[in-house]
Amino acid sequence: MDDVLTTFVNVLRDHGVRISTSETIDAAETIALLGYDDRETLRDALAAALAKSLPEKQLFHECFDRFFSFTAFSRKETSREAAGRRPDGNVALSPLSLMLLSGDQAGLMASLAAAGEMSNLNGIALFTQKSMFQRRILEAMGLEALDGDLAQLQAEGSDSSGRLAAALAGAREYCAEEVRRFVDSQHDLHAKARMEALMERRLLHLKLSDMEARDFNRMDTIIRKMVKRINDVHSRRKKRWKRGFLDLKKTLRKNITFDEVPFHLRWKRRKIERPDVIVLCDISRSMQKVVRFFLLFLYSLNRTVVRIRSFAFCSNLAEVSPLFDRYGVEEAVARLQTGHDLDIWMGRTDYGQVFRDFAANYLHLLSDRTTVIILGDGRNNFGGPEAGILKTMGERSKRIVWLNPELPTFWGTGDSAMKQYLPFCSLARECNTLFQLERAIDSLLK
Amino acid sequence: MTHHHIYDSIETIEHGFRSVGYLTSRHIATTLYLAYHLGKPLLVEGPAGVGKTELAKKAAEGLGLMLIRLQCYEGLDESKALYEWKYGKQLLYTQILKDKLNDLTGGKSLEESIEALHRYDDIFFTEHFLEPRPLLAALQQEKGCVLLIDEVDKSDDEFEAFLLEVLSDFQVSIPEIGTIRARTRPLVFLTSNNTRDLSDALKRRCLHLYIPLPDPKLEREIVMIQVPGISEALTRQLVAFVQKIRELDIKKVPSISETIDWARVLILLNRKSLSPEIVRDTLHAILKFEADIDVVRERLPEMTRQILNGREGLSHG
Repeated sequence: MDDVLTTFVNVLRDHGVRISTSETIDAAETIALLGYDDRETLRDALAAALAKSLPEKQLFHECFDRFFSFTAFSRKETSREAAGRRPDGNVALSPLSLMLLSGDQAGLMASLAAAGEMSNLNGIALFTQKSMFQRRILEAMGLEALDGDLAQLQAEGSDSSGRLAAALAGAREYCAEEVRRFVDSQHDLHAKARMEALMERRLLHLKLSDMEARDFNRMDTIIRKMVKRINDVHSRRKKRWKRGFLDLKKTLRKNITFDEVPFHLRWKRRKIERPDVIVLCDISRSMQKVVRFFLLFLYSLNRTVVRIRSFAFCSNLAEVSPLFDRYGVEEAVARLQTGHDLDIWMGRTDYGQVFRDFAANYLHLLSDRTTVIILGDGRNNFGGPEAGILKTMGERSKRIVWLNPELPTFWGTGDSAMKQYLPFCSLARECNTLFQLERAIDSLLK
Repeated sequence: MTHHHIYDSIETIEHGFRSVGYLTSRHIATTLYLAYHLGKPLLVEGPAGVGKTELAKKAAEGLGLMLIRLQCYEGLDESKALYEWKYGKQLLYTQILKDKLNDLTGGKSLEESIEALHRYDDIFFTEHFLEPRPLLAALQQEKGCVLLIDEVDKSDDEFEAFLLEVLSDFQVSIPEIGTIRARTRPLVFLTSNNTRDLSDALKRRCLHLYIPLPDPKLEREIVMIQVPGISEALTRQLVAFVQKIRELDIKKVPSISETIDWARVLILLNRKSLSPEIVRDTLHAILKFEADIDVVRERLPEMTRQILNGREGLSHG
């Protein structure tokens, strides 16, 4: 397979177009069939083989235009002033000077491409390398010889050589500028996307509690992507009826008229219910960032996928669902963090009090379809844990899921009451990176 | 016209489709050329009404092949898509043949009767009792066919997984009969309205074509070809109008099929030119939501004035 295609496929992958090996093979067959001759045909054909959705098509076109760009040295207005000037004869000019002075765009483009390849421009990874690559490429194109020409012309001192020297000096600037642009566009093509992908991967596994505010924007983008995936996967599940086993009772009843010879078959069906979720979030200072991302994630899910009521607690418990209805997700999450206008006392975290509050006011919300999610570190400041109430809650609901940002090895150490709560949770897992968060939410919906 | 001519080059495809009344833009023709020559299914996406289904129909017409269509919906399963045993017929036959069966087994021991039945083993599971559904029917076509799997995004994940199997090998296995291979590989079109993302595995096996809403020039040509007898001036006006509506913030932008419907309505009403009144009375032909109609109505005088005074209107009086 040729290098051009492999490099192009890698560029596309860096930009987030998913391309498998089999698709690369399709692309190779495409090129074998249609060739590189016609740019538009090549573009349309590769688009069909490599980009499989509208967003991917857009990315593809962006990359294609830049990757197969032959626009360098085509700015006529700058090259015209130099073009058409011929040396008088007694000065033998270098190839680069000649091409620049005669305005040979094709020759310059080819020289630029060859120089780019020679200096390994594909490998550019950091923007700090730009000037280095610029220099290397200019050298490879023959800048040194051009400077020699320039010095010689200036030394000669005649009128015509003076004019020629001025034109050549202008052309030199023009050439350097074109190379700079070329390196810029190649940097954008090769390095930028790679950098983004790297950042994303890092954030995926970075502890939420260590997250800095400057990363929030990028995080929100990642969450949106994850949410879209989860919504796609689960939004039809609630409606799906599964044809399962033969329903013998119904079949017999239906076929009584045929002397119970079963002409019409009846099947057992299973309906996947939309889960009811009740979330209890610890919003004490140590938990705030984790809670922010968790709620952002949960509330971004489609209303058809999941039905949520949320409660926040610190020293006591209060319902916060109205916040989300009134202000929208982002605003609500921000409000939760400041703790303003909430009936929550931001003193020491008291899980015992929290469970007593829940038992007193909200126990009736639980049914055999409810999943209770508790997001907290279980650090109770040595108060009474009231694990008995958690037991009751577990009996009344479908399941209790405890998401704890601490490593399991720390559960139960110091003032952590996790060990007392653990027996009554159907699932308890560590949840302190975006990656773990996604997995936790995915498993909730199953 | 045989298909050897049509798919010889991208230009012949453009021609071939034009001759059956479907205008392709260049990238559609290129993609069709690829799909045909690489023998790959073609996944077609784009807004509703841009002619995704029509593309497959016209492809069949151009090739002179039969079109077999499978409409997808939630809950579609193998028995509706691939094959089904004619259960009723099987049952009916066993009831009618009750006496014959009695003869076979009459007066024999249990072992002997089972032995006797074994000789007629698969009699109720032969092709006589097999009801081929679209996918199987497509594989059975001697000369090949065009298989259209419409709105594949509406089907379930399981069905998608099952499609993969069919589309990669063009063969299916029926436990009672064996493996059935395609006699001639069908040309496969899948369409999707993007109500959900299709699985990567399915996309990998297909070539992908996105058909956008057409530009004014192409849309005018389409209207002229689909609505014979329409004047060029009216076509210009109404395409300009529809293109303007598409720029507005509305729930459902009109697509080509709506433009064509509207053109037909105007022809029926014997109109030679647009006016604010006639647009107001016929808006429901292109807009499907009351709210959208209100949005357009508000701007109607301004929009029609622009179009009637603009170049589109002037150049043809």
